[in-house]
Amino acid sequence: MTRARILVAAALIAAVALVGIYAAAGGASYEPVKVQNPCKSRPPEETSGGLEGVAEEITLSALDGAACRLGVTRERLARALATTEAREKFGEEFHIDDERLAKAIRAGLVRAIDDAEERGKLSGIIAGPLRGAVEHIPLAQAIELVQDGKNLFSTAETILGPLGDLLNEFLP
Amino acid sequence: MGDRPNPRVWALALAVGVVLADSSIVVLALPDIYRDLDTTVFGVTWVLVSFNLVMALAAVPAAMVARRVGPGRSAAVGLAIFAGAGLACGLSDNLETLLIARSIQAIGGAVAVTAALELLPIAVGSERRAGVVWASAGATGAALGPAIGGILTQLVSWQSIFLLQVPVALAAAAPILAIARDEMSTRVIEAEVGRPVGRPHLWANVALAMVSAAIAAALFLLVLLLIEGWLLSPIGAALVVSVMPLAALLGSRIGAWVADARARAAAGALLLAGGLGGLALLPKATVWLTIPPQILIGIGLSLVLSALTETALAGRAPQAIHGGWTISSRHAGVVIGLLALTPVFTHDIAVQQKNAINSGTSVILDSPVRPLVKIGLAEKIAEHLETEDGKVPNLGHVFDPLPEDEGERAEVVQMREELQDQLNAGATHAFSPSFGIAALIGLLALLPIGLARRIEL
Repeated sequence: MTRARILVAAALIAAVALVGIYAAAGGASYEPVKVQNPCKSRPPEETSGGLEGVAEEITLSALDGAACRLGVTRERLARALATTEAREKFGEEFHIDDERLAKAIRAGLVRAIDDAEERGKLSGIIAGPLRGAVEHIPLAQAIELVQDGKNLFSTAETILGPLGDLLNEFLP
Repeated sequence: MGDRPNPRVWALALAVGVVLADSSIVVLALPDIYRDLDTTVFGVTWVLVSFNLVMALAAVPAAMVARRVGPGRSAAVGLAIFAGAGLACGLSDNLETLLIARSIQAIGGAVAVTAALELLPIAVGSERRAGVVWASAGATGAALGPAIGGILTQLVSWQSIFLLQVPVALAAAAPILAIARDEMSTRVIEAEVGRPVGRPHLWANVALAMVSAAIAAALFLLVLLLIEGWLLSPIGAALVVSVMPLAALLGSRIGAWVADARARAAAGALLLAGGLGGLALLPKATVWLTIPPQILIGIGLSLVLSALTETALAGRAPQAIHGGWTISSRHAGVVIGLLALTPVFTHDIAVQQKNAINSGTSVILDSPVRPLVKIGLAEKIAEHLETEDGKVPNLGHVFDPLPEDEGERAEVVQMREELQDQLNAGATHAFSPSFGIAALIGLLALLPIGLARRIEL
């Protein structure tokens, strides 16, 4: 075998070996993390417990519910609610005005409260007025609720007045 | 009789090296230029494209001018223009000025490089040896360029790359100026001008264009992946890509072992394609995994560039004109490679960016961290993306400050690592199709390499 042939054969082997090894090691099988369907129910979140824990769970669940209603992913909606600019961009991209967004968030919150009640995380005594409270709140307040679940119960306390003090008592 | 280094040969080799290094020297500085001049990925690509395009167009006319005016004078003037335009590049504060100065640099460079090939036979004693010195100086310059550029960018600034070219080019011009006054060279040139110009070696030049397109892609895409995708510093990226010139040195030793130029060219093209294929199939976003493909690319480029340049010049006269054709082919290849692949990878980056953002937000929202903490993080990502619109995202600092609670901090750190892995994998994958296309171009170069033997044009 001449030097020329040895060189070409060695180059061919090296090239094929490298490509083969990298492909076999998973180089050809990249898949981004799959974003879940927000309309499908998820296992309940691990929360810090108590009033705050329930609020946290409702917050994420509400995000799912609102995203499902709007036909977007929970991830996209979470980013859209970060700033006014992000919300405007989201609205333009998906042709969703503020009124539709507010309706979706309210519906998401109601669904989340229903789910929490169903799982026994929230008593019916609390769930009822809470539902009533979130059903009519304006967009800015609805966004605040999704951004920080703690606001959920302060909103309810404001609406419920002295009864609000009893909220913690009724939490399971 | 010993081979004492001839200062004129060194000066000519330095001139060729510094000019041809300019084709790739800014590769590692591109991310800095991109930020400093507030341009786009496509805009910054033109810092490379403008030089290579003008070089491709000017090389053959420059060789003709060099032969008519006299190669000594042409080389000296060409280097002076190259240095002056380099100074303008270093002082430019907007993309337009930089692109104009780069184009002028290319004109000066084309004159200097082709004139150098006309002068080298006199300095080294034979046309064949001149061709080898000229091709080796060019390949060395092109291979070393990115590493030198990266180090300068990190230690000083991207402007320093161009400013440093001024004294280097002038240092090379000084001994060449003496050649210009050399009566003998003038006499030889007068005799040479009368010789008919033979047709260029079509297939060797076509193959040169194709492998140059693949090499440009290898350098440009790898640097972008390292700096913009994996967030390495320019000096870190320079160290990583310095594997290629080191491997090129090994390639030149291997090349000296085999006389058959066609076999060297074929082996080089195979290695180049294999290395690019490896980069297209990186199993993980780890710097170490880029080393084996870079070794193949480095050895491959050294073998294929020198073999094809020698083939294109062998037995053809005048050397300057045929050297001009090789320069033109190489730089046209670089331009075609960059222009063909830039839309592919900018599109893929945009798609992967969306995927990475969704994956990243998903990683955060699905993590075991407290919902309120993770919603806050998801929102911080969104805010960050607003300011990084259209660029490869770096979300690392979104997690600062870390939560005070130890358990929560550990969870956030784990989430940060998972997110970073997602972003790195996304960025790596964004470059895969472009590397794959470049590998295919390198592989297709085997066709003209095969034809080069049978059909001599």
